Amino acid sequence: MTRTALFSNRRTVIANTVLLLAMLTVVLASLAMGTLHIPPDQVVHALLGQGDPLTRMVVHDLRLQRSIAGLASGAALAVAGCVMQSLARNRLATPGIIGIDNAATAFAVASVVGTGIALAPSTMALVGAATATALAFGLAGANGTRGYRFIIAGLGIGAIAGAITQLMLSQVAIDDANAAYPWTVGSLNSRDRTSILILSAGLLTGYLCLQALARSLNALQFSDPVAVALGIRLRTLRVIGLSLSVLLTGCAVAVCGPVGLIALIAPELARTVCRPGRMPITASALAGATLMLAADTIGRTLFSPLEVPVGVITAILGSPYLLWILLRPANRSMR
Amino acid sequence: MAASLLVALIFMSLLLGAGPVSITDSMLALVRQGSDEARFIIMELRVPRTLIAMTTGVALGLAGALLQSMTRNPLAEPGLLGVSAGSGFAVAVAILLGATNATLTTLVAQIGALVGCAVVIAATRVHGLGNDPVRLVLAGATLSGLLLALTSMMMLVDQRAADEIRFWIIGSVAGKTLGDLTSTLPSIILAIGIVAVVARPLAAMALGEKSAVGLGHHPGRVRFLVVLAVALLVGAATALAGPLIFVGLVVPFIARALAGPDIRRTLWYCLAVGPCVMLAADILSRLLVVPAELPLGVLTALIGAPVLLLIVRAGRMPSL
Repeated sequence: MTRTALFSNRRTVIANTVLLLAMLTVVLASLAMGTLHIPPDQVVHALLGQGDPLTRMVVHDLRLQRSIAGLASGAALAVAGCVMQSLARNRLATPGIIGIDNAATAFAVASVVGTGIALAPSTMALVGAATATALAFGLAGANGTRGYRFIIAGLGIGAIAGAITQLMLSQVAIDDANAAYPWTVGSLNSRDRTSILILSAGLLTGYLCLQALARSLNALQFSDPVAVALGIRLRTLRVIGLSLSVLLTGCAVAVCGPVGLIALIAPELARTVCRPGRMPITASALAGATLMLAADTIGRTLFSPLEVPVGVITAILGSPYLLWILLRPANRSMR
Repeated sequence: MAASLLVALIFMSLLLGAGPVSITDSMLALVRQGSDEARFIIMELRVPRTLIAMTTGVALGLAGALLQSMTRNPLAEPGLLGVSAGSGFAVAVAILLGATNATLTTLVAQIGALVGCAVVIAATRVHGLGNDPVRLVLAGATLSGLLLALTSMMMLVDQRAADEIRFWIIGSVAGKTLGDLTSTLPSIILAIGIVAVVARPLAAMALGEKSAVGLGHHPGRVRFLVVLAVALLVGAATALAGPLIFVGLVVPFIARALAGPDIRRTLWYCLAVGPCVMLAADILSRLLVVPAELPLGVLTALIGAPVLLLIVRAGRMPSL
């Protein structure tokens, strides 16, 4: 069991390769498309430091950072969702539905509109994510992440956090409210270099820790007694897994705002294409990055020069899928 | 008890506020004396506001009680299930297309609510979903999210409409006139009439569909009437006060605690509890941050979400 999940079998390798190729295609598209259309070969040239200065400027200074932000936040959200689904043994248990996104947003908005809190929005988002998770756990009581209570508690927390966000926005001057707007819908427009760096570091840490824990996490698909018999320390594993999930969500929300559905759909996609029985961390990350960047590119180009926030696009494209999961007759809540 | 509380709240709603009117002035104004300013504030601002809050409370409370009894789901609430979102979305579309007329808004909101409500009831008929309160609520939340995303997309397109929608979507009973109220009144009276008709069959259906048929009721017909009533009520409430979440959860929750398991008694209690809850929320929204005002939708969410948690915290989900 020294091999990591990445190389565990052929199907997973193929799936990951395909997802990687899809991701690279989307990256290329996101760099090429926009108000100034740049042919793909020019993009590659510009990336290699050649081509004319204007193209280089557009690709390097304007689009590359945004693409990286999209990739990293999508990957982080997807991995966080994947872990939380496994821990809760419920594929609806993702950060967006449990209200972590909303809480992180509320805290970030509090910092943007300046309610006497000096922390940076990204730090506040992290604090908010942790608070919401702790609350959801506290309210779920002894059941832990199992069962409906956790989810309904999260729904309530999300509603309260959303109301508080609205409240703050309605109390401040219109300029401040506009400054906080990207936080409320989910947009890659407001990213800044530091939070992207923090996110990348967080993503790397989280990913490596999860790969190290892969074996234990895979054992979670069995019932608790079986997992314990396999030598898993469940309590510790849950705490670590949830902390990583919160870390990833908080960092991602700090960059892109509440784009919750990525955390639900990307792991779902990854589970479909990968070998059953393993937690598809790598595939989730790749799928999440691809979906996020694709949605952002669509939002940027669809009504150009108007820009539709990426959160709106994912909600419109992702909600029907979620509805389908919820409404279809057979309830296979988790494989 | 509920009735005396209601009377007390009505007086508080009329007498308290941010304006420069003392309580004695307000009392004088109520009997058509006192200064012109006080009379204007009381008669033109606070009386309509109080009446509208009461009407909204009744409408949302009844709608919530009907939906919960119908779906046998204690969490079924127009706001949570996406019925309010449906009617909100319809109004947003109407605003975008240039509608300003109050009557039109009510009608549009009711059509939106009708579609939303029909979808919900259809969803509960899907095998297995009716027995699973959480999945139904999540589906409703997703539907609301989808409609909200579509609304914000429309808001990007038109700046004027965006301002109007943004103000309206938070929910408020301020700045409405008696004219807005009278335009929704016929539909609310019609809906209450329907409620009076379906109360008995609904109570029978609580025993199970077969028993209801055995007692001579037609479940399909009842279901249709309930959908119609809920749509009329939620549409009217949304047109008056915006998409308020959680009122339809809190009011039947309290009413059921007071009235016991019989849906007929619960519905009667909703008539008194609904206005109480809405008036209390509205008074708080005026007084908490004087001289500014809290958005009513924010306040109902802050009051309602803990009730949701309370229902879930109960040892097991109370079954209906």
